[in-house]
Amino acid sequence: MMNQATNTQTLASVDPNAVENRYVVNANQGQTSLYVPSTTGSEAASWNMYRVENHPAESGSFSNSTYHHVQHSEPSSRTVQDGSNATSLATSSSLGAANTQPDYGGYTSYSNSAGTYSHGSAGYQGYYSGYQQQPNPSYSQPVGAYQNTGAPYQPISSFQNTGSYAGPTSYSSTYYNPGDYQTAGGYPSSSYTHQTTTWNGSNYANYTTQQYSNYTQDSSGAYAAGNAGANSLHYQQHYKQWADYYNQTEVSCAPGTENLSVVSTSTQLPQVSQVPGVSGGYPTSNSQAPTTFAPPWRPESSSSQTPLLQPGATVTGAYDSYRTHGAPSFQNQHPSPVQPHFVKPLESKSSYGNFQEQQKTACPQLPNLQYPVAQQAPQNYQPPTQTVQSLETQRVSKLQIQTNPRIASNLPLGLPKLDKEGPNNNAIAKPAYISVSLPKSSEKVLSNDAADTVLKAGVFPKSLKSYVQRALALCKDEKQSAACQEIMKEIITKATSDGTIHTRDWDAEPLFPIPNTDMTDKNNSQNPTPVSLFSKYKKSPTRRTKSRWEPLEEKSVDKLGSLNNYAAKYSSRVPLDEKDRKPIGASSEGKTDVMKKIRFPQMEQKSASKTIQRQAKRQRLADASAADNGDASSDSDKEQNLTAYYSGAIALANTPEERKRRENRSKRFEKVQGNRAESNHFKAKNAGTGNLYARRTTALVLSKSFEDGGNRAVEDIDWDALTVRGTCQEIEKRYLRLTSAPDPSTVRPEEVLEKALLMVQNSQKNYLYKCDQLKSIRQDLTVQRIRNHLTVKVYEAHARFALEVGDLPEYNQCQSQLKILYAEGIKGCHMEFAAYNLLCVIMHSNNNRDLLSSMSRLSAEAKKDQAVQHALAVRAAVTSGNYVLFFRLYKTAPNLNSCLMGKVYSTGLSQC
Amino acid sequence: MAYPSMGEAHRRITDYLNKFCDAVSYQDVASLAQLFSFSSNSPSLLSLADALNFFQDANRLIKQSDKFSQFGEILAPLFRSLQSYRLGNLVEAYHAFEKFANAFIQEFRNWESAWALEALYAIAYEIRVLAERADRELSSNGKSPEKLKGAGSFLMKVFGVLAGKGPKRVGALYVTCQLFKIYFKLGTVHLCRSVIRSIETARIFDFEEFPRRDKVTYMYYTGRLEVFNENFPAADHKLSYALTHCNPLREANIRMILKYLIPVKLSLGILPKTCLLEKYNLLEYNDVVKALKRGDLRLLRHALQEHEDQFLRSGVYLVLEKLELQVYQRLVKKIYFIQKQKDPSKAHQLKLEVIVKALKWLEMDMDLDEVECIMTILIYKNLVKGYFAHKSKVVVLSKQDPFPKLNGKPVNS
Repeated sequence: MMNQATNTQTLASVDPNAVENRYVVNANQGQTSLYVPSTTGSEAASWNMYRVENHPAESGSFSNSTYHHVQHSEPSSRTVQDGSNATSLATSSSLGAANTQPDYGGYTSYSNSAGTYSHGSAGYQGYYSGYQQQPNPSYSQPVGAYQNTGAPYQPISSFQNTGSYAGPTSYSSTYYNPGDYQTAGGYPSSSYTHQTTTWNGSNYANYTTQQYSNYTQDSSGAYAAGNAGANSLHYQQHYKQWADYYNQTEVSCAPGTENLSVVSTSTQLPQVSQVPGVSGGYPTSNSQAPTTFAPPWRPESSSSQTPLLQPGATVTGAYDSYRTHGAPSFQNQHPSPVQPHFVKPLESKSSYGNFQEQQKTACPQLPNLQYPVAQQAPQNYQPPTQTVQSLETQRVSKLQIQTNPRIASNLPLGLPKLDKEGPNNNAIAKPAYISVSLPKSSEKVLSNDAADTVLKAGVFPKSLKSYVQRALALCKDEKQSAACQEIMKEIITKATSDGTIHTRDWDAEPLFPIPNTDMTDKNNSQNPTPVSLFSKYKKSPTRRTKSRWEPLEEKSVDKLGSLNNYAAKYSSRVPLDEKDRKPIGASSEGKTDVMKKIRFPQMEQKSASKTIQRQAKRQRLADASAADNGDASSDSDKEQNLTAYYSGAIALANTPEERKRRENRSKRFEKVQGNRAESNHFKAKNAGTGNLYARRTTALVLSKSFEDGGNRAVEDIDWDALTVRGTCQEIEKRYLRLTSAPDPSTVRPEEVLEKALLMVQNSQKNYLYKCDQLKSIRQDLTVQRIRNHLTVKVYEAHARFALEVGDLPEYNQCQSQLKILYAEGIKGCHMEFAAYNLLCVIMHSNNNRDLLSSMSRLSAEAKKDQAVQHALAVRAAVTSGNYVLFFRLYKTAPNLNSCLMGKVYSTGLSQC
Repeated sequence: MAYPSMGEAHRRITDYLNKFCDAVSYQDVASLAQLFSFSSNSPSLLSLADALNFFQDANRLIKQSDKFSQFGEILAPLFRSLQSYRLGNLVEAYHAFEKFANAFIQEFRNWESAWALEALYAIAYEIRVLAERADRELSSNGKSPEKLKGAGSFLMKVFGVLAGKGPKRVGALYVTCQLFKIYFKLGTVHLCRSVIRSIETARIFDFEEFPRRDKVTYMYYTGRLEVFNENFPAADHKLSYALTHCNPLREANIRMILKYLIPVKLSLGILPKTCLLEKYNLLEYNDVVKALKRGDLRLLRHALQEHEDQFLRSGVYLVLEKLELQVYQRLVKKIYFIQKQKDPSKAHQLKLEVIVKALKWLEMDMDLDEVECIMTILIYKNLVKGYFAHKSKVVVLSKQDPFPKLNGKPVNS
């Protein structure tokens, strides 16, 4: 209860919205705790980052928006808050307790929300504790703040600060300057939103776990959950793994762009996203931390949105129910938030974006959720109770979605009322998912909203719509239009996060270059936003990684390979995603219809189609079959990768803020480098082309992923099927140490290798050349797993060449290989090399046991061999110190014994 | 083999269980150890194994009473092992025995006093022997023998249990010796080092406090290690310690010690009496000793060739081969004495041609250069005092003690 009280107080101080925010925060706390478990450190970091991002976006109006999001529960005041509240929140934050209390009063009036709050608070307490623990480093303060009613904001801000400081710093000028993030009055709002979002996410997770026991049940019932539950769980796990990635990626990508995009999108999506987010959050919570994350944010945003729409009871009530039941409240919230809060929702989206960045999937879900909520809210509004169930179902679906943004979008579809919207949302979410998913989602949301209640019109400026239409009109084909959509999503999300969506002169805005089908152009055009979007897209860790990786890899093949790898790695995740996606796909279809209705029909359709494709692709990935993986590298993935890459490369900064964000992002990328390196590694392996290559890489990936708890066992891999069969007909080939899977087109088959060996043996060139050639032959043999007389011949030849020039390291390599090959029963000059081996042991003498063992291993037959006898005589001469005999033996040495004897002399005898 | 009746089987099993529990409760280690000694092939164990194979459901009997079931973890695998052992399935027997041994170690850890050490010894011994036999079975089936390795790591664990402070430390040396046996058999002698270190660096426990048999075994193996390292004085010390403390009635053990001690002593210039070699059936050294006495290089080489496999296996081949220089010394010495008899004034001037002739008489085909080389080394190794006149091909021996005796010092010191 104390937590609740504190929460409420803090919220009150902030505003009703603030209260919500706090809730969110609380929820977040809970969620964070959950999160922490799932992603632990990384997630925390990511959260912080998110917050930062949110802050930037909020910096101007965002604080409000964020508040709204957070405060969604406060819907009653919402509209006010949204408008002035947001701003006022920033200021009010400074006011501190006093403000909060008044607000609180208002909040209390929201009693509905209060009830929910109580839930939330109760949950929060628990969460709180958990939260503190998890976030401890950065969050510890926030926690304290939470507890302290007045202080709470500061803590929150601190949280945000901790996480997102890098981002914030840039923003700080605007927003942060007012106060320290931590202390901040102003901060609180912005930070709150972020925090709240994040917190919510965490809280939600907690909720789901703790409070939501009921919830989960509901969700499970509604969700049938299966998907949600299982998926979410998987996701969480994945998330943990990816958490780091996410954090990094998110940080780098999301912060700036996301914020921007968040703002713009949030306005549109916020409602939906928030509501959905709530529901999604619940689901996520059910599912696990990752999903929860996104959901929490969404919930907050949704709550804030709802508050805006129905500041009063509906929002609160929705919230309460939401928290308690998630779904019911969502419904309530949804209705209210939907129209009024679109802008706010956008904000929330921004925050979501952040979350998405962290958990791209989650974010998408949020948008979806929000959308659904918004839609549902309008629709469901009237039948809240019914809607509740539907909401629950939606939530369930959302929960499922949670894991992946796309999934989340699907989840919304699941909601009956929201379904239409949901699909739209989903579709939107999916786009966002890809990289621009959030923006798209926002757009879609808008469209959905429009469909529902023409909310879109309110959310997005007409000029923006026309801008989008203009851009789409330039597209020649679907791919382009799809790319355009993504780019625009990014732009819009940016704008939203910047808060410029309504202020920008969209008519005057230059159209971005039409993306090439290759996506590179698209990426460039969208660069700034795409980056952020991509980061958001990170939703799924794999994707994020991909996007980051992709920048490095320009080759589509490589990308594909990487995608495959990713898919393989995430195979477990992927399945979940796929599930989600599948629903999404269905929803997307539905969405497409809706979308058509919507102002951005083209966009929607495109997105829907994309989403469908993606779903299919993902499904394939999930199949994880090598072939599937090869195919799996879907265009969308490529596009995403490319876009991410280009976005990173290109600076489209329209505003100084964006630039700053980009800088921040780039910094973040630096941090992420490590992860990239890993991903690069995979890519490198992918360097080879062809199905074989893809299969191999997948196999590799799979084998790696096993460690991560993958379902497949390495033993299941059919290595024979993966063995390369060379096709290269060139006899000469330079040795290059493989850094990737071998490419059959550069590997020589056995016949060619035989010729190559002959060529080398007859070559008059120097040893370096021969060594190089022989090494490449050996490599090709190894790669093709050829172990026969030819292999022995090659090693023997190489060993002899090495002995001739005294290249002992190389000789030892060959000798050890030969030992194995002889032991396998492959015929060769066994005796000759036994003699060499003896001489070698003598040379490295002082190891009597080795000498004894190698002598005792000689068979009677071997002892009759001339070379071996010679070697034994040499040994005897050395041990007795009979130099004369030694040099006589040197003169009569068979084979290359003399070469080794020279070495023996220089090392062994010289001591005598 | 007459099958026991059901009742008889039941009685035997219960009897065994009772014996076990009584031995534990009365801390009667002798009878406890007896219960584990498969390799003793005692009739009681064999009949128990038959009973187990006949009765099949011995676990039920174990679970029947609390008295037995508290040792269920120990007894169940023990029974299984005994069954497999009786049926000749040694790999299975080893697996079960290792499980039993692990369970017993757990229990042993909890016993404050070291009363059960003897039982632990029995287990350590049995597991090694069982592993060796299981490995033989495995390799005869074409599978890679790895049980002895497993036994080694298990014994290492046992060593960890015993090596600490306290009364159980007395048992550490026994386990160490079992480990030595395994490592020497596996050829992974380098693994001995860590065990040796923990035995020899422990100040809390005086080495002399270990049981004598363990000390002798330990010294034997460490002495062998020193032979490998050609650290003859240390090897001499350790092996001599083993010899003097070894039970004189254990001739097989004494022979094993002498097998290494004799080459070591030979390297130090100390020759054994023929009766010693005869008594302990070490006649393979007889020719070597004779060659040393006579300076008969041919005999030495012949002896080495004849017993090459044997010497290589025991690891003394290289040691014996190094005796060659002493044989040269002896030969030169003999020539010197002969010259001295002929012409005492010029006896210290030794012409290389004479040595070459002598070697030729020994059917050693060496020319002047080689002999010169050998003489140089003899001087270098301080086996001969003097200098070498290259132009005149003459070795000028010191008038004082031209052939210093080794007297327990290794060559080249």
